[in-house]
Amino acid sequence: MADKYYRLGCDIGGTFTDFVLLNDRTGEIKTGKCLTTPQDPSDAVEEGIRVLEATTPDFVAKLDELIHGTTLVINSIIERKGARTGLITTKGFRDVLEIAREMRYAPYGIFAEFPKPLIPRRYRVEVDERIRSDGSVIKALDPEEATETVRALLAMGVESIAVCLINSFENPAHELTIEEIVAREAPAVSVSISYRVLPQIKEYERTSTTVTNAYVKPLTGRYLSKLAGRLASIGFKGKLFIMLSSGGVTSVETAAEFPVRIIESGPTAAVIAGQYYGKHFNISEMFCFDMGGTTAKSCLIQKGVAGVVPTFEVGRVQRFMKGSGLTIQVPVVDLMEIGAGGGSIAKVSKMGTLQVGPESSGAAPGPICYGRGGADPCVTDADLLLGYLDPDYFLGGEMKLDKEGARRGVEERIAKPLGVSFIQAIWGIHDLINETMAGAAKTHIAEKGGNPKIVTIAAFGGAGPVHAYGLAKKLGSPRLLVPPNAGVGSALGFFTAPRAFDLLRSHKVSLTNAAFGEIEHIFRELEAEAAKILEKEAAHETIRYERSLDMRFVGQGSEVSVPVPAGDFTGLTKDDVRRSFDEVYEKLYGRTYPDSEAEFINFKVRATLPEKLLQLPRLEAGKDQSLDAAVKGERLAYSQIVRDFIPYTVYDRYKLFPGARFHGPAIIEERESTLIVGEDAHASTDEFGFLWVDLKGAGA
Amino acid sequence: MKPVTGRTFDPITLEILWRRLISIVDEADSSVARTAFSSLLRDAHDYTCMFTDRKGRELAQGSFATPGQSGAMAIGVKNLVNSFPVDYYQPGDVFITNDPWALAGHLNDVCVWSPIFYKEQLAAFTACVFHHSDIGGRVSSDNHDVFEEGLFIPLVKLYDKGVLNQSVLDMIRWNVRTPDEVVGDIRSQIAANHVCADKVCQMLKESGLDSLDDLADQVISLTEKSIREEIEKIPDGLYRAKGIIEQMKGDDLIIQAAVEIKGSDIIVNLDGSSGQVNWGGNVVFNFTYAYVFMAIKSMFAPDIPNNEGCARPIKLTVPEGTVVNCKFPAAVAARMGVGHFMTEVIYRALSDVVPQKVIAGSGGTPAAMNVFYGKRNDARPWHSVIIRGGGMGAGAANDGNYVFIFPANGANTPVEIFESDTPLIVEKRELLTDSGGPGRMKGGLGKRELFKIPDDKYAPMPPVNLGIQAGRYVYPAEGLFGGKTGSKAQFLVNGVPGNAYGLTQLKPGDAVTIDAPGGGGCGNPFEREPEMVQQDVMEGYVSVERARTEYGVVITPGTYEIDWEETKKIRGSRVTGQGSS
Repeated sequence: MADKYYRLGCDIGGTFTDFVLLNDRTGEIKTGKCLTTPQDPSDAVEEGIRVLEATTPDFVAKLDELIHGTTLVINSIIERKGARTGLITTKGFRDVLEIAREMRYAPYGIFAEFPKPLIPRRYRVEVDERIRSDGSVIKALDPEEATETVRALLAMGVESIAVCLINSFENPAHELTIEEIVAREAPAVSVSISYRVLPQIKEYERTSTTVTNAYVKPLTGRYLSKLAGRLASIGFKGKLFIMLSSGGVTSVETAAEFPVRIIESGPTAAVIAGQYYGKHFNISEMFCFDMGGTTAKSCLIQKGVAGVVPTFEVGRVQRFMKGSGLTIQVPVVDLMEIGAGGGSIAKVSKMGTLQVGPESSGAAPGPICYGRGGADPCVTDADLLLGYLDPDYFLGGEMKLDKEGARRGVEERIAKPLGVSFIQAIWGIHDLINETMAGAAKTHIAEKGGNPKIVTIAAFGGAGPVHAYGLAKKLGSPRLLVPPNAGVGSALGFFTAPRAFDLLRSHKVSLTNAAFGEIEHIFRELEAEAAKILEKEAAHETIRYERSLDMRFVGQGSEVSVPVPAGDFTGLTKDDVRRSFDEVYEKLYGRTYPDSEAEFINFKVRATLPEKLLQLPRLEAGKDQSLDAAVKGERLAYSQIVRDFIPYTVYDRYKLFPGARFHGPAIIEERESTLIVGEDAHASTDEFGFLWVDLKGAGA
Repeated sequence: MKPVTGRTFDPITLEILWRRLISIVDEADSSVARTAFSSLLRDAHDYTCMFTDRKGRELAQGSFATPGQSGAMAIGVKNLVNSFPVDYYQPGDVFITNDPWALAGHLNDVCVWSPIFYKEQLAAFTACVFHHSDIGGRVSSDNHDVFEEGLFIPLVKLYDKGVLNQSVLDMIRWNVRTPDEVVGDIRSQIAANHVCADKVCQMLKESGLDSLDDLADQVISLTEKSIREEIEKIPDGLYRAKGIIEQMKGDDLIIQAAVEIKGSDIIVNLDGSSGQVNWGGNVVFNFTYAYVFMAIKSMFAPDIPNNEGCARPIKLTVPEGTVVNCKFPAAVAARMGVGHFMTEVIYRALSDVVPQKVIAGSGGTPAAMNVFYGKRNDARPWHSVIIRGGGMGAGAANDGNYVFIFPANGANTPVEIFESDTPLIVEKRELLTDSGGPGRMKGGLGKRELFKIPDDKYAPMPPVNLGIQAGRYVYPAEGLFGGKTGSKAQFLVNGVPGNAYGLTQLKPGDAVTIDAPGGGGCGNPFEREPEMVQQDVMEGYVSVERARTEYGVVITPGTYEIDWEETKKIRGSRVTGQGSS
C-alpha cells in the first residue's frame, strides 16, 4: 500500500526495549530506546512508540509492518514462571522427560547438577495406547480413558497440557483425539500436541520440545494478544510479525501456537543483519562477532547464509556447559556463545595465573570504572586503562568512568598478586579475553569448514569493535567490518529477516524401499500446512517452497540435510536422490561410501514469502569532507606491536564521510562503541557509513 | 638439538599460551566430526586427541575425552614414544597400534601417533585414540584369550617418512568386517593428528619459541602444584577398601585397595586383588589406572585441564597377573565390568577423610550393555546396541542423579530409534520407585525397561539373541555413612530370572524385564528432612511404605500429609536406638 511506508522493529531485552524505525521511501532510519517493563512488556512498546512519534508524527497509521522480538519466552523458562503444565503420554513412558539421554555433561564432575524437568512427575500421566514404529496401531486409544485422564489433570489445576505419545510422528490419530477431548472438556486450557510442535523421531527430544511449548504457551498467547490489542488502540493497522529463533519472522497466530520457536529470537537479529551485509557486500565468509557486557556471541556466515542447527538448549544449569540445559529441537541460528564480555571479571586463578571470565560483574555492580560499587577488575577496566576508551566519552559522555579506581583495582587484585607490572596486567586482561574468544572462534569456524584466515569479522555490540582488531590478529583475519552504530547495525536484521516457516515430518524408510509417491504426498501435506500458516501473514503474496530431506547411512546415528529440486518428487529416480546424498555427504565429511545403503529420516519444507528489499541508507556527504574536521585529537593508547603506549589519532565517527581513508594507529569513537585500529592497519568509510579495516594492506 | 632453556613465562603469557595448547587439541578434536565415519565417533564422541612434548609428557587433551581413554592415554603414549631413541624419528612418520596393554585396554581402541618437527627438530608428539566399532574377531565377553577378540595391531609404522606402508593397511582391511569404515576412520585419525601438528608449529612460530620444553615444564609443574595442594590437605595415612564384584561363573572377584596419603602423594596399592580370569573381564594396568585417576581427579581437581601434571602425584602399584593388571594374552573385551569399579573403591577408601568429595556406589557402575540381534520375518538381519546406566550414588550434600553411566559416560538409545531398527516393542522405560538407596541424601533411581517380542504378523524369526554385559545382580551399590544400598539389577524372561551375563535366546511372545540398579544413599535415612521424603512420595520416587520403613516418615496416602506424631514416634525411638552413624 502506498500510504504505508514505515516499518518498525522492536526488540524487548532484559534491560532495554529497542526500537528502529525505517522509512521505506527515504531509507531514513531512526532509533529509540526505553526501559523494559517486565510487569507488562507492552507498556514499554507503547511508550517507545510515543517517543518516536515526537520526531516522526503520525507514523503509526503509516506502518506497514511491525517486527517484534522478545526475551519474554526464554526468561519465563529460565525463571520457571511458565504455566502449571500437565503431560499426557503413552503408558510406560512418563519418565522420558526425566531420564532424558543419560549423558553426563561434565565427565569428571560427580556433583554436576541437572535441570529439573518443567513438569514434575505427578503432573505426568499416561494413557493405555500404543502405536508401532510403522504407524500401525497396537492398542487403540480408549476415548473414555483419555477423557478421564484429561479430567484428572484439570482437577490438579493445570493451565496447559502437552501431549506426546510414542511413535505419534508416524500416526497422529491418538494425539489428535486427545487434542479434541481437551478442547471439549476445557476450551480455555491450552494444548500442545507433539505432532504439531515437532513430528520428529526420538521421544525425549520431542517430549521436551512439546512440553516447553506447552509451558510457555498461555503466557505468550496472553502477551501477544494484549500487544496486538494495544497497537490497534493506538492506530496501528499494519501487519505484526514475530521473530523466530531460526532467523525468519512469523505471524502472531503462529507464534502464539508455537512459542517454542521464538525462544532465541533476541540474539538472532544481529545474525540476520550479518547475513544481509554478507550478501550486500558479497563477502563469502563473514564472522559475526557481537560482544556485549556478559557474553560474546558469534556466528560464521558463509555466502550470506548463517548456519541453522536443529537443536539447542535453554536454562543451562552451568551456563556455558553443553548438555546442562533442557533440549529444544527447533531450528535455531547456529550461534556460539561464550562468557566473554566487557563485564568479564579478571582474577588470579587457583594455579596462580591470570583468569578472565566467564564470571561477569553484569550491569550491576559492573566494572570498577562504572563507580557503582564494583570491586573486581573487568575487561572494560582494562580497556579504559589501555587508553582504548575515553573516560569522558563512554555512552557519548553520559557515564563518566573512574580511571583511578580501575587503576587501583588492577594494581591490587591483579598486578601485585601475580607479580607483574601494571601494564602487563592491563594488556594481559585484554589479550587473554581475546585469546579465549579466538580459541572458541577457531573451533566454531573449523566445525563449519570455514577458514579464519579469509573471514571478514563483522563487529557488533558495545565491546565488539574494541576487541575486533585484537581478535583478527589472533585469527589471522584480513579485514574488519563495523556497521554504522552497533545498535542500528543489528536492528536492521528486523527488516531483512525472511518471512519463512519450517515444517518437518519424520518417516524412516530406506531409499531402496521408499515409495516416491508417498513421499510426494508427505511433501504436499507439509506445503499445505505451511500455506495455511503463511496465508495468515500475507494473503496475496506468492509462497516459495523449498524441500529437503534428512538422510543417513542405514544404522548411522546422525543425518545430513539433502536439498530436493522443485517439482514432483516422483519425477526423480532413486539414483538422482542417491547422487545428491553422496554429494552432500562428501562435501561435509570428505568422502562417501557408495556401497552402503542410505535411508530417509525426515522430510522438510521451508515456505518463504518474497523478500522485502531494504535500501541501506547512504551516508550523507557533509559539507566539510576533510579528515581534519573528523579528528577529535590524539591520545596515548597501548600498541600490541611495539608493546608500549603510543599516540593514537582519535576520530569522531559521526564526522567521517564516504571515501574517508586513514591509517592506524586510530581510535574511532561513537556513542555506543569505540573501534581500535592498530598501526599496521588502515581504515576507510564507504558510501553507507560502514567502516572497513584492512589488516593486511597496511602502508598501501 | 639446542633448545632454548630456562625461559620462564610470566603468569599472563603462560595462561595465554596454555589456552592455545588446549585450543589446538580442541580444533583437532572437532575435525573428527567432519572426517570420521562411524557414529560411535561422531555422535558418541568415543575418541581422544592429545599431544605431548618431545619427552612424551602429555600437555593437552581434548576437552570432551572419556575418562577411560583419557587416563590411559597419558601413560600409554608416553611409554610408546619413549620406546624409540629420539633420533629414530623422522618427519612424516606415522605409527599405529591397538595393543591393549600399551593403550586403553581393548583391541577396539586404536592409537595413531606421529612426531611433530619444528625447524627440523623434534618438538612434540601428537596422538589420538579412536574407539572403532569393528576390529574383527569373535565379539563376546566369554572369549578365553585376546586372540579370539579380534585383530591385534602391534606397534608398527603406517607411514615411513611420509610414505604409506600399504601392507599394514591391507592387513587391517582384510581382518575386519567393515573395512571401508575402519580404514576411513584411521584416515580420520591421521587427519586429526595433521591438524594438531600444523597448529603446534604455527603456535611456536607466532610466539617466537624454538621448542615447547620450557612451556611444558611450567604448565606441568603448575598443574601438579595445584593438585598437590589439594591432596596435602588430607591427613597422611593408609586407607583401605575392598571391592567385591560378582562374575559370570566362579568365585567373586576381589579388589583390595590400600590408598596411602603421604604429604601430597597418593600411592594406591592393589596387592591382594583376584587373579586374572579366563573370560573377557581382565583389565590392563593402564585402564585400571584410568579409573583410579578418574576418582582422584574428580575429588581434587575436576575442573583443571588434563596434562601430565594431574597424574604426577598418583602412583599405582598392582601385581602382574591380577584381574586389574592382567598379562598377555588374557581376554580383555569386557574390561569395563571390572575396571569401572576402581573409582568407587577409591572413593570408599578415602570416604572418611574427604567425606564431602565422594559419592556412594552407583548403579551405573559398571556401564551395562544390551546387544539385541536377530532376523525379521522376511529374514532381514537386524542388530541394536543399548548402553545404559543406573542411579548415581548420593553425596554428603546431594541426592544421586537419576540414571547415568558412571564413572564412564554415554547416551541411551531412544525407544523410537530402537523400535525402528528392530522388530521389538519397548513397553516401558521408567524410573523405578524405591530403587534409590535410602539415606539422608537419597541414592539415584534406577530404571525398568520392558521389551516384548511380537508374536503377531510382526514376529521375527526365532531366535532373538540378547547378549548382556552388566553387573550388580548380586551386590547392589553400597551406601555411605549409614546410607543404604540401592536396588539390585534384575533380568527376567517371562518373569523368571534369565542368564544375566551371557547370551539369551528368545522367541516370539517372550517378555524381557531389565532393571537398572539404583545408587547408594548417603547418611542415615532417618535424618532426611521429612519434607523431602514427603516430596519424594508425592512424585512417586519413594513409596508410602518405604517412607515409613526406611525413612521413618509417615505419609497419609492421598493427601500426602506428614503424620508428625507417628513420624516422631518411629524416628524418635529408632534414631536413639541406632545411635548416630
